[in-house]
Amino acid sequence: MQIIAKNLSFTYGKQTKAVSVKALNNVNLTIEEGDFFGIIGHTGSGKSTFVQHLNGLIRVNGKEGELRVGEFDLADKKCDLKTLRSKVGMVFQYPEYQLFAETVFEDVAFGLKSFNKDISQSEIELRVAEAITTVGLNYQRIKDKSPFELSGGQKRRVAIAGVIVSRPEVLVLDEPAAGLDPVGKREFLNLLKRLHSSFVKTIIIVSHDMNIISEYCNKVAVFNRGEIALVGTPQEVFADQNKIKELGLEFPLTARLKLALKNKGVEVGGDLTVEGFVTALSKLKEEGKL
Amino acid sequence: MREVTFGQYFPSNSFVHKMNASIKILIVIAYIVAVFSVKQFHFLGFGICLAFVITVTAVAKVPFLKVLKSLKAIIFFIVFSAVLQLFFNKSGTPLWEGGFITDEGLKSAIFVSVKVSLVVLGASILTLTTSPIELADGIEVLLYPLKIVRFPVHEFALIMSIALRFIPTLMEETDRIIKAQKARGADFDSGNLFKRAKALIPVLIPLLVSSFRSADELADAMDARCYAGSKNRTKFKKSVITWRDLIGLIITAGLVVAVVYCNGFYIFPAVFL
Ligand SMILES: Nc1ncnc2c1ncn2[C@@H]1O[C@H](COP(=O)(O)OP(=O)(O)OP(=O)(O)O)[C@@H](O)[C@H]1O
Ligand SMILES: [Mg+2]
Repeated sequence: MQIIAKNLSFTYGKQTKAVSVKALNNVNLTIEEGDFFGIIGHTGSGKSTFVQHLNGLIRVNGKEGELRVGEFDLADKKCDLKTLRSKVGMVFQYPEYQLFAETVFEDVAFGLKSFNKDISQSEIELRVAEAITTVGLNYQRIKDKSPFELSGGQKRRVAIAGVIVSRPEVLVLDEPAAGLDPVGKREFLNLLKRLHSSFVKTIIIVSHDMNIISEYCNKVAVFNRGEIALVGTPQEVFADQNKIKELGLEFPLTARLKLALKNKGVEVGGDLTVEGFVTALSKLKEEGKL
Repeated sequence: MREVTFGQYFPSNSFVHKMNASIKILIVIAYIVAVFSVKQFHFLGFGICLAFVITVTAVAKVPFLKVLKSLKAIIFFIVFSAVLQLFFNKSGTPLWEGGFITDEGLKSAIFVSVKVSLVVLGASILTLTTSPIELADGIEVLLYPLKIVRFPVHEFALIMSIALRFIPTLMEETDRIIKAQKARGADFDSGNLFKRAKALIPVLIPLLVSSFRSADELADAMDARCYAGSKNRTKFKKSVITWRDLIGLIITAGLVVAVVYCNGFYIFPAVFL
């Protein structure tokens, strides 16, 4: 599903008027099917507000722009939100805080049951087992446990299983790696990569961690005060050094290394992934330029 | 969800905002007593109270509409008590031949509605001009005398301010959990009452869990800062009384005297509805 936002604006507290905050201002953005799309920006720049539009948690006001997600027109009041939400999965920060059921099985099945009321028990079992296995947990061992007796990392996996159980085509993650240790973070991102090569076609990730963005995303949008300041590949976005600094952002490690090397007179090509960086560097060595 | 902002504090720098919270609470109590003591059908007394409310609102620089909005919350109660009076007050003469609504019933329906509305208007000015924290502090000061009977005033006030402090957090958390469950297909807006109540389980349980977590964290944070109850504890914001409070008290005394005068010096008639 292709996602197209046109002149999208949003203001919080419009009805109450006491304090209204313009969180989005004329956002134009296209996310293609197949993208691993990164969204970055200073805190309060409107990233969460934007992604919550994608599955209709925040509704588009007809006069405040257009938003299309595949065949769904989000500005349309009659938009079938339930079907949309089964196709656009959303994982929030600390997703483990959404767990509620008595068993892991019940919790993961919750989404499935709410999306299709007349799904058969055997189908549920199949899909729940698939989801739990996908997130790297042992289905048989964990399914009858209470979600509250699991470790933090396991909880988070269960919560994510509860989102991907409906096989969404688009998976939106709002700062999903917060609070994970480095190993947990890497495992988590590898999970995303695996998902991206299965039924999940598009991944949209909001993150403050530039290394994640440069390593995994093929495209990045930078938000600033509710507007889009930059869009492009990580390479293109982080090439504009002054702008990035102006926007209050960090550089990924690879970009910093490249910059430092450049100051020493060594131009390293390639993209901003660690592998791309290493390949470019070893090529330089082979050519005898190092 | 977000529209339900707790309390309705309207920040400003006015005379009324700067007054001492305890004094403001006392004034509101005096005002409410004045409203209740207005003698049956002596609408002039209400006129005086209304004038008081309007003056205070103007001085406080709070939009009148904001004050009026507070009535929305109790509109059902007002209509209910008015209807009760209208249909069940049998004294007086019927308004029309054979009708069951009497002139006295109509009058008392209006009287009761006005009385309740005035009380709510007065109380809402207090919450509009006093932040919840100031209110809690104000109540604490007023409760000090209870220390004589070993009532744990400080702890009580602490509970109150912690509760107030956590309301926005809880609302934010609720909002977040609702969104997370909606994203998983939860449907809170359709089905019968029973279904809707059941739909709340996925929200209430995580909310409960997170409240316990917050409580634990807060307790740890307080322990870590060596919080040890009320003994030898000083206040960050001292409760001071200024000339503003004196003026407020004098005007309020004037209000009470005026109302009592209207009642023909009939000091305290049947108080409640
Ligand atoms: N529920 C809300 N009510 C009112 N204002 C809000 C609400 N949520 C966000 N805002 C405001 O809207 C703006 C954008 O917020 P948003 O949450 O989209 O930022 P963000 O880019 O996700 O920030 P962060 O990186 O800190 O998560 C901010 O100024 C914020 O204060
Ligand atoms: Mg955010």
